[in-house]
Amino acid sequence: MTERPADDAWPQRESGPVVRPYAVTGGRTTGPGDGEPLTLLTVLVATGRPLPTDDPARLAPEHHRLLSLCGQQVTLADLAADTALPLGVVRVLVADLTELEAITVVGQRSADQRTGNDVLQEILNGLRAL
Amino acid sequence: MASARSDTHGGAAAVPAFTAHKILVAGGFGAGKTTLVGAISEVRPLQTEEALTTASIGLDDLTGVGAKTTTTVALDFGRITLGARIVLYLFGMPGQERFSFMWDELAYGALGAVILADVRRLGDCFPSVNYFEKRQLPFVVAVNCFDDAPSYDPQEIRQALDLDPGNPLVLCDARDVASVKGVLITLVETIASRRSARAGAASGRIATTRAPASRFGQ
Repeated sequence: MTERPADDAWPQRESGPVVRPYAVTGGRTTGPGDGEPLTLLTVLVATGRPLPTDDPARLAPEHHRLLSLCGQQVTLADLAADTALPLGVVRVLVADLTELEAITVVGQRSADQRTGNDVLQEILNGLRAL
Repeated sequence: MASARSDTHGGAAAVPAFTAHKILVAGGFGAGKTTLVGAISEVRPLQTEEALTTASIGLDDLTGVGAKTTTTVALDFGRITLGARIVLYLFGMPGQERFSFMWDELAYGALGAVILADVRRLGDCFPSVNYFEKRQLPFVVAVNCFDDAPSYDPQEIRQALDLDPGNPLVLCDARDVASVKGVLITLVETIASRRSARAGAASGRIATTRAPASRFGQ
């Protein structure tokens, strides 16, 4: 007869946040693949297109939670902060949602697109007015 | 579906409601990044992953977890809305070398950085200074004035850090909103003046004694 494993053979409850997030993504660390890379300041918004109901097992509660936060335009960083999920996990889940066309990327600046001088001035004015 | 996917949400999504800009807050452990970010905005830590070190393995019982090699780390995160369409994001950038794997992602597209320095542990900010100089990203060194720290002449600190003349060094109190505002303003002014200097040099074909214009960064 097999013995019950000792308690310390199982992941401790405290390691939940370490194990669980990637359980949500099914162990994936990258998204569906094609499509633009999601950076911290990628702006996202819900498209209004409903999530598929035919394969509910595909979607975790975290997918729905993220989607509910995209009613207004938000950045990837905002989503990660609001859900307290690791960035890597949020990136994978958001990629899932963009593939399902439930979320779309609104604006994405490439690295060589600098902030214009006029916007820089606006930032300066805004800071001085704080 | 027969209808095209041009519902109002899809239409509205085409127009960005705001532009997002990033400033990094770097510095060693305990230099005051959390305090600074918290002084000027809401602070909600961003979670990311960190490779487990052998030191932490003894504390976290990983038996049964298998090949798990990362744990979650909280990063300082702040947001300042400036006007109707501009949002400034502050990202804390841990200055310890073991976090260097995440620096590139944090720095991607950033306007510039505030490097917080603690005169009691000045060496802690060397990796950040080196990194931003190498990346040619504009930065300001802000010496956080802790109550029990000896006061040094800013010029002494500049020399200790081997700062280029183009990089400002300012004193600040990370707890004070007005002081933090001043640091951010200094940074953005530095970025703006560097650009006009570069533009002026380019249009007037002024020869400089410094290395090529790209040395000054974005």
